[in-house]
Amino acid sequence: MLILQLLVSGIEAGALYALTAAGFALIFGATRIFHFAHGATYALAGYAFVLATRLGWAWPAGVGLALVVAIAFGLLLEAAVYRPIQRHHGAFFTVFVAAFGVVIVVQSLIELSFGRAFIAISSPLTRAHEVLPGLYIARVFWLALATAGVVFAVLGAFLARTRAGIGLRALAENPDLLRAFGLSSRRLSALAFALGSALAVPGAVLGAMTTGLSPGVGAHVMLISLAASVMGGIGSLRGAALAGLLLGIVENLVVAGLDTQWSEAAGFVALFAFILFRPRGIFGAALVR
Amino acid sequence: MTGGKSMVTRRIWLGGAAGLAAGALLAPSRPRAEDAYILGTLFPMAGPNAEYGTIFTAGAEMALKHVAADKMLSRPLVLRAEDSEGTPQGGAVGMSKLVNVDRAVYVLIGFTGVSKAAAPIGARAKVVLVNGGGVGPDLAGLSPYYWNVIPLVPDEIKVLVPFLMARKLRRIALIYVNDPFGNGLLKSLKGDLTAAGGEIVTADAIAPTDQQFSAIAARIRTLSPDAVYFASYGAQQAEIIKQLRDAGISQQLLTYSAATIPSVRNLPEAEGLIFTNQAADWSADDPITKRFVADWRAAYHTDPTTYNQNYYNAVRLFALLAQQLEKSGKPVNGDNLRAALLATRRFPLVGGEGVFDDLCDISMKIVVNRYQDGKLVPIG
Repeated sequence: MLILQLLVSGIEAGALYALTAAGFALIFGATRIFHFAHGATYALAGYAFVLATRLGWAWPAGVGLALVVAIAFGLLLEAAVYRPIQRHHGAFFTVFVAAFGVVIVVQSLIELSFGRAFIAISSPLTRAHEVLPGLYIARVFWLALATAGVVFAVLGAFLARTRAGIGLRALAENPDLLRAFGLSSRRLSALAFALGSALAVPGAVLGAMTTGLSPGVGAHVMLISLAASVMGGIGSLRGAALAGLLLGIVENLVVAGLDTQWSEAAGFVALFAFILFRPRGIFGAALVR
Repeated sequence: MTGGKSMVTRRIWLGGAAGLAAGALLAPSRPRAEDAYILGTLFPMAGPNAEYGTIFTAGAEMALKHVAADKMLSRPLVLRAEDSEGTPQGGAVGMSKLVNVDRAVYVLIGFTGVSKAAAPIGARAKVVLVNGGGVGPDLAGLSPYYWNVIPLVPDEIKVLVPFLMARKLRRIALIYVNDPFGNGLLKSLKGDLTAAGGEIVTADAIAPTDQQFSAIAARIRTLSPDAVYFASYGAQQAEIIKQLRDAGISQQLLTYSAATIPSVRNLPEAEGLIFTNQAADWSADDPITKRFVADWRAAYHTDPTTYNQNYYNAVRLFALLAQQLEKSGKPVNGDNLRAALLATRRFPLVGGEGVFDDLCDISMKIVVNRYQDGKLVPIG
């Protein structure tokens, strides 16, 4: 029963990892921008939800506020930080340092506004109940699964069937060709940031209820997103989502046989294994020099 | 250049110089660093443990105000803050800067790992470090220049274990941070619990940065312990409490003095949490405690914590020792401060008379507390 319980915990964590990692992968896949501040988007969305709760807003309004904040932050970064750097042919390292600086600014702003302490939203959704002897499941588990399922289904349909979605997939391949088809690479880049940032919101909102938030929470989120993106195949949305889910499951299942300290390390052992034996990731395309 | 332009330029220069001179005369006089006693603070000021840095600093700052108001010293006391980040690396870097750049004569410090990294640097430079927040067993006698104004965790365990045995809480699951503090606590708890007839049914080590505890909760639940003791600090404590309760762990939760911070006290899931702490009687009628508590309530509209008390006491201890040295015409340095402490031993501090042993560690009474309705209630 312990294994089953750990599997349930792993799927819950993995579903949230999958959504957040997919956001990072979507942005990187479409724009080739290493959006290191994706963790800051997660933190801002989570704190926006906390703010709405404190103001006594209903949860849909709180989720709405988190979405607005996350998307606005993503669009602002794209327009005010990344685009000017790229206009001046800034190197990858310049983009990384700029994003890193933004992360520190966001963390400081959160500390100034909400304090440095841990914040969690107490909700009956996170209280686990015994559904089978020895198996405890909270309602938030079903909510995480349903959210991930619906979001990925809608996103998949958007990317496969709409003109903008197909444009996003093509953006990374050949921006010049896009222009020939009358599509604006600038607008598509903004769309990628808006969608990618919005994907951080479900994880942030449910994370605020389950694991809680602290001003530095973005660093952990970013690490998971990065690992999932590499394991899934750089730029592959479904790869990042699947790898995020796997990371959550591995982190939890490993506790059944090893010391708990191996929990997070196990995910990164899996990452190293991918880098060594399948560097292109689960769904990444093989590159030949 | 024409004569007119030259005249204007001269006027501008003269006016500027006069303005600067007037500004210097009218501005409130600020102590120059070389005229002041430099007190360093080496606290976590950012990251998951930053809450402690704010709490520690507030206690020290109130003491600075009182020392200045009472004109205890002939020279001003100036605080220089370094961020330890709560890590040994941060502690070593910060302490080096305080010693070599700021020329601090006395440094307030917290956290076991930070202390162990900074103490050798303090010992080499003969700069006194005073700990009011770290409770790791190794902190006793860390160096002749490392003093504790807080009782260490073995003292807390010695009080807690008989309390647990009396309530038939014998099988304890332990979650501990894998660092010098956590490993020291594991050793103390295991030794005292086994000697008293209890046992540790599982000891799960966690990293200070871990955020997910549902897997640990699942494992603990299968072992059905009588109680769960967690040894962590900062924001992580609240995460552990919440996730254990969410995962259906209904057993008694136990911990140590680090749980006195607001983020734990205000957590609904922390209701009923039992923890040990140094005794603090805010209604005591000695003038030093009364003044500290009254000014604290006036400034913060709440009662102080024992961390506020400890760092207030650490600064007050410096003022008392430096005052003694000034009167006897001796320089205020590490050796003389230590000699004065060991010669005097007893000092009027917040909470009553502070008595120091040969290792320069204070002794205090420990009590067992419970959070009830978000308030700390002594129960044993």
